[in-house]
Amino acid sequence: MSYPHAFTPCRRRLSFEEISTQGPLSISYIALPPSLPHHFEAGRKMSSRRSRISEEEINELVSKLQSLLPEARRRGSGRASASKLLKETCNYIRKLNREVDDLSNRLSALMATMDSDSAEADIIRSLLRS
Amino acid sequence: MTISNGDGDSAAKDGRRERKRKRRAEPSLVKWKTEGEQKTYSSKLIEALRRVRRSSATGAASAATDHSRSRAVREAADRALAAAARGRTRWSRAILCGRTLKRRVLPRAGRPKPVGPARAAERSKPPALKTKARVLGRLVPGCRKLPLPSLLEEVSDYIAALEMQIRAMSVIAEALSAVGGAPSPAQTEGPM
Repeated sequence: MSYPHAFTPCRRRLSFEEISTQGPLSISYIALPPSLPHHFEAGRKMSSRRSRISEEEINELVSKLQSLLPEARRRGSGRASASKLLKETCNYIRKLNREVDDLSNRLSALMATMDSDSAEADIIRSLLRS
Repeated sequence: MTISNGDGDSAAKDGRRERKRKRRAEPSLVKWKTEGEQKTYSSKLIEALRRVRRSSATGAASAATDHSRSRAVREAADRALAAAARGRTRWSRAILCGRTLKRRVLPRAGRPKPVGPARAAERSKPPALKTKARVLGRLVPGCRKLPLPSLLEEVSDYIAALEMQIRAMSVIAEALSAVGGAPSPAQTEGPM
């Protein structure tokens, strides 16, 4: 059996691979190794080992994420629950997106009122200075 | 001339492997906090803004509603941010090629549901965490189907980049509003 590096057959096979191996990371780069049967078996074994280890990894990464959120810095890292941290992260990203949208609204309004190019040169100069 | 390739090779391989591992290590978050990076981003953003203004001025002035203009500004800012990331992260690559692909109809391959009873033994991630991780993956561009550890790395870089974007844009907004308000030249403004 040959496993050509073509795209359409890979996609079908990848759905099975997704079940047996660790994750869909391989889907985005559709390039299957030629030794496929070994890959499947190794994937199944790897997934069982990985999910046992991954819980500690997850807690580690989540605690690292906690340091990024502004909330944790205030409360002195009392919140250790992973699900709460994920929720706070989602809210924080949404809040940041909203701020960026507000700022872009403001900028577009300012750009509409301002007409001369000399103003921008002044801005650039002030930016370079400070 | 005896060339002991055994040890040399393995050492070289280890060095290469270590280097590969180090290269694939997480992108440093410190760069998003440096002033230099912010200034680079600000200048890129100003250029993009100038282009947007020119295109909206030359184009149909009636069609240039506030909403479309602010959306153009937001997209330009995001693209500049993704360019500043130098393509090391997934979200930046997704933004850079996603802005053209999102408009077209993407062939949505049906999401294959993972076979539950087959992997019932390994249920280390409770479904609550899984759903939250999926929501998080949808928030960050290009990270929908990412496993959790890589997703968290992308998220941390994305958050740092967004914070820098907000800082830079607020500086520019302040500068523009200050210049627009006072018609006097910037020299009299003094250091901001």
